[in-house]
Amino acid sequence: MTSPASQNLPIIRLVDVRKSYQMGSLTSHVVQGISLDIQAGEYVCIMGPSGCGKSTLLNLLGCLDQPTSGDYFLGGKNVAHLNDDDLSEVRCRNLGFIFQSYNLIQQLSVLENIAVPLYYRGASDKEMRQKAERLAEQVGLSHRLNHKPNELSGGQQQRVAIARALVNDPLVILADEATGNLDSKSGQEILGIFDELNSQGKTLVFVTHDERMVQRCKRIVRLEDGLVAHDMPGGAALSEKQKVESGKQKQDLQVPSPVH
Amino acid sequence: MSFLAHHPVLRLVLSPQHLWRTVSLGLKTIWLHKLRSFLTALGVVFGVASVVAMLAIGEGASHEAQEQIKKLGSQNIILESVKPPDSQGGAAETRSMVIEYGLTRRDIDQIRRTVPGISIVVPSRILTEIIWNLDRKVDGQIAGVLPVYPEMRNRKLLNGRFFTEMELEANLPVCVLNQSAAAKLFPLNTPTGKSVRVRGYYYKIVGVIEDDSTQAGADSGGGSSNATAQIFIPSTTLMDQFGETFFRYKTGGFEAEKVEFHEAVVRVGDTTQVMSRANAIRQILTSNHKKEDWRMIVPIELLRQAERTKQIFSIVLGSIAAISLLVGGIGIMNIMLASVTERTREIGIRRALGARQADIVVQFLIETTLLAGVGGVIGVIVGLAIPIAISHFAGVTTVVKAWAPALAFSISVLTGVAFGIYPARRAAMMNPVEALRHE
Repeated sequence: MTSPASQNLPIIRLVDVRKSYQMGSLTSHVVQGISLDIQAGEYVCIMGPSGCGKSTLLNLLGCLDQPTSGDYFLGGKNVAHLNDDDLSEVRCRNLGFIFQSYNLIQQLSVLENIAVPLYYRGASDKEMRQKAERLAEQVGLSHRLNHKPNELSGGQQQRVAIARALVNDPLVILADEATGNLDSKSGQEILGIFDELNSQGKTLVFVTHDERMVQRCKRIVRLEDGLVAHDMPGGAALSEKQKVESGKQKQDLQVPSPVH
Repeated sequence: MSFLAHHPVLRLVLSPQHLWRTVSLGLKTIWLHKLRSFLTALGVVFGVASVVAMLAIGEGASHEAQEQIKKLGSQNIILESVKPPDSQGGAAETRSMVIEYGLTRRDIDQIRRTVPGISIVVPSRILTEIIWNLDRKVDGQIAGVLPVYPEMRNRKLLNGRFFTEMELEANLPVCVLNQSAAAKLFPLNTPTGKSVRVRGYYYKIVGVIEDDSTQAGADSGGGSSNATAQIFIPSTTLMDQFGETFFRYKTGGFEAEKVEFHEAVVRVGDTTQVMSRANAIRQILTSNHKKEDWRMIVPIELLRQAERTKQIFSIVLGSIAAISLLVGGIGIMNIMLASVTERTREIGIRRALGARQADIVVQFLIETTLLAGVGGVIGVIVGLAIPIAISHFAGVTTVVKAWAPALAFSISVLTGVAFGIYPARRAAMMNPVEALRHE
């Protein structure tokens, strides 16, 4: 699943995005001017102390909220000033959400939960069933299609959420503490799924505290007081780099220098 | 088609699959909170049931009244002789006097001559007598009438025929029994062709006519024999045999009444003229009679009064029903507001997954409409059961018109929609971020 964007056009481009809230006479500036590019296929972790604005940034990236000023280009299209209906469309087709507390709809079965975004896109009954079944299989839940969320473990519920996030083939997957409510084993499983998604070319932008995720991601964006404080390669990128460098060093050592 | 599929409402309207999906989701949600849904729908059930039941009872009562009045004939003006009250009792001497009262030949002739546009006047005389069949007897009335009597008074012949002009001219002793007389005197076989006796006179029965439904205690449908037994003979025959005066013997003396006509029916050619002709006749009779010994019944006026009463009744019923439905609707709105609050998280999730505000509105509106609709269906069933039970056990006529349940049901659905819009919009207007944070 390659993204439609070319190498040069980032899948996400934030240009001086700001977000402020009015609380009575006080104005709170939560995001104070962030400019950021994310390319297709990246695996980005957004981190920072509490109150740094990372959740707000994620909401902006997810089109759940709109910036007070600045521009947000998603897949080349400026979504910063769209009306509510158009924003809903964008969320439906181009974005996938994964939440810390799974946020599945209790009255619906696993299959029906996965299919919800398809319904809002106007898909036919047949398409809904086929795609949902395929994705359930992809996350290893084919044997639980008719179960209700309260009959599943935390890890299983999060897998349903992942399948749901993928069902409309979005440009970007966003997650807020995806492993926050999971025990270490389930957490590992979920992280494994994320690795695989990324290796298939999916763009992942996650808010997290989980050290294991930091180790596996390719880029870390650290926020402080509503601004980007650090933007650096993540664990996976670092180890990649290390591998390349050590490979180079080895090469240098091994090749004899005949003439210098 | 893909463009249409994007729009939340059109999507539902055009695709039965999606509509069914949303409806079944609504049904599931209602079923999930059975007690609460039931109590909510109860308001609508009462509202609808009361509309249907009260309309049926009202229609029934009005129908009864109108049928009875129609039997009298909407083009007719009925004149009756009434025994004046002040001629009862008194001194011993007056008990032997002949009391003269009521409509006279002079009245009839004057009416015929001076009032235009009236087609027939049917004078009749009614006497109270005992009617005999061999050794069976019944207290009844013997009436001398003209052959057009059944047509004028809208009374159907159940057997045989009425007597003819020829028989009238010839003063023949033929008669027609009413149903009640026939049942009492000839319980096992048809009377037609046989004879009855009144005093010393024998009459051959040529037919049987239905009972007078305006009589108290008569059942217009069913042939109950509470009606007075009646025997109809040609008025000329009656005049011949019984004369104009008859005597009634009582202890301590006798009482004699002289009445020329007990009853006359005037038919007006044009229903719009009825009231004016009635006024004209009233003037004639008032000037001719010093005593209050006559009475006029104008069926069309009664009919109009009945209509007015029915209208007032309908307005009152309608108001009561409207209030019950209002209460039901408020109940629905109350529950839906609570439901929306409970499901704030779910609304946030759906919005995050791509639901538009209109999608949320539709989802909740369908739920309220279903609640109100189910309440409406149950209300119609209960509302139909009540008049049937009343008809069955209390013998009161009820009439259910086809439009009443349909109207009541539609109103219940509209109530659901109207009172569901506010909660649904509140749900849709929620900020997704805040909604997701809830609870």
